[in-house]
Amino acid sequence: MSLLTQYDADARSVRRVTRRFLIIAILVTLALVVAIFVRQGLLRQTVSFSFVADSAQDIAKGQAVRIAGFRVGSVTEVNLRDDGSVAVSLEVDAGNARFVTHDARIELRKEGLVGSPTLEIVPGPDKTRLASAQARLAFSRADGLGALANQVRDEFIPILRDIKAITGALADPQKGLPGTLAQIRASSEALNVLLANGNRQVDGIGGTAVRVLGKAEEDLKHLGQMLETANQRLPGMLDRTQQVLDHVEKITAEAETSVPPVLRDGSAIAADVREIVSGAKQTWPISSMVDAPGPSTLKPDSDPRGEAGRAR
Amino acid sequence: MRAEWLLVSVIFLGACGTTPKPVDPPRLKAALEAESDGAKRYQRGDYVVAGRRFADAMRQFAGIDDSIGSTRNRIHLARTHLALGRAEAALELLGAASDGATGDIDVLLLRSQALLALMRRSEAEKVLVAAEQSCAAKCPQLPSLKILQARAALADGRAAEAQALAGTAIKLLGDKDQAPETANAWRLTAAARLAAGDATGALASAQAALDIDRRLALPEKIAHDWLLIGNAHRYAMRDQVPGAAGEAAAAYSRALDVAHAAGLAEIATLAKQALQDVGAGKIPAK
Repeated sequence: MSLLTQYDADARSVRRVTRRFLIIAILVTLALVVAIFVRQGLLRQTVSFSFVADSAQDIAKGQAVRIAGFRVGSVTEVNLRDDGSVAVSLEVDAGNARFVTHDARIELRKEGLVGSPTLEIVPGPDKTRLASAQARLAFSRADGLGALANQVRDEFIPILRDIKAITGALADPQKGLPGTLAQIRASSEALNVLLANGNRQVDGIGGTAVRVLGKAEEDLKHLGQMLETANQRLPGMLDRTQQVLDHVEKITAEAETSVPPVLRDGSAIAADVREIVSGAKQTWPISSMVDAPGPSTLKPDSDPRGEAGRAR
Repeated sequence: MRAEWLLVSVIFLGACGTTPKPVDPPRLKAALEAESDGAKRYQRGDYVVAGRRFADAMRQFAGIDDSIGSTRNRIHLARTHLALGRAEAALELLGAASDGATGDIDVLLLRSQALLALMRRSEAEKVLVAAEQSCAAKCPQLPSLKILQARAALADGRAAEAQALAGTAIKLLGDKDQAPETANAWRLTAAARLAAGDATGALASAQAALDIDRRLALPEKIAHDWLLIGNAHRYAMRDQVPGAAGEAAAAYSRALDVAHAAGLAEIATLAKQALQDVGAGKIPAK
């Protein structure tokens, strides 16, 4: 009898322990599920917005949405519409929706021009009104390297045309430099002839001298007309040259602002990679496997440029 | 997934099983890494970037008051300047590395190399005398010293002496793994033989230099070797060797091709001029 009583007590004890274990297991599982939900953002409050793009290039579901570089949401849906455009829906954390003004626009940017694409919400100038939930925002793509190259090409084409026009004008056999030079040559030849005649006839001045002076006066007038023509043409040419210089100056100014960031980004990425690699190399356990380089020696080469065999 | 876990476990277990190594201070490590990177780039022929890395390393070593490391990188940088044809810059660096008369033999050899490149023969000879005194019995730099002495002798018009010195260098280099120096010695022998009027011997020596330089893939030296081969054939034209003119033109064309492809403008000009001379039937005087 006492044996049965003992058995019942043990069975109750086992049941109690099992029940406790099951309850704890369920609680832990629930806590894990809640943690996963929180981590995945399923329990956070969000505000939905949308925009329409002409192409889905560089836009994908799950893509980060940022405001001032901070991740505030993600793309939830990308659909092709009947008219061929692309409807994109995105969710922004409710806490950050205060930055999305009614005139905000969404810009597709690339990190460092060549990095991964992200959507950046750029708030508009009117901060008094916020965008309502489900609002459709304006969308634009930031210029990539291809667009920059096209821009440079577009700037260069008019310059090349100007240069072509100027060289064409200069090379014109009638109105350009060759024509002007030919006229000057003809005039100088006429003057030479005139001087030669003058020398020959210096003894018999008189009536002949008057004619010679008259001819000289005509030639000088002719020369004056030519100089006037040159004077009229030069400002035009100088103007066009000035235009070309203006173009070049403009491009240089734009390149000054657009090119250095590209270079800076490239160098920053390289520095980051170097830092990551060197950081990894210094971290245990990798550090114990990577040997630090020792002092280097270069192979002797008393004639690195092959100058000893130089043809004398 | 299992394989990844296994790999991570192996790495951790392996790391745990090893005794922690003494770690170099980060600045010293950075300086050594810059030096090592520079040396790798130098061996690849990327002299411009190698120079930058050596200059970085030199600064970093100086910053931690490591005069040995700083001097070592100063010498590396001078060597890089010489490879880039900036002999004056190399000389300036080497001047700061030693006083020139009693300095380290490597520095003396580099100084003489720079002076020869600048055509300052008498100064180069003096430095080489100092180097010979520093190089006791059979110092490892003896073949390089002989080559530089041969260069100086050839530049001074002493072709026979140059040939003998270059020959000694070739013998000394016989059992050593110093291909660039061996090619230099052969090229010098070819030039000395040519100066002495031995076109056949010069051709064989230049061919030996070319074989090594091709293996080492050094465009500037390959182009110079082809120029030498062309010159040897042109000298053979004096003895009316049949086909010598064609062979000379072919060699100069190869030099021109290599120079064009590697962007060596100076050698390209030399090759073009030589081709024109061959085309015009110009034969070198005896």
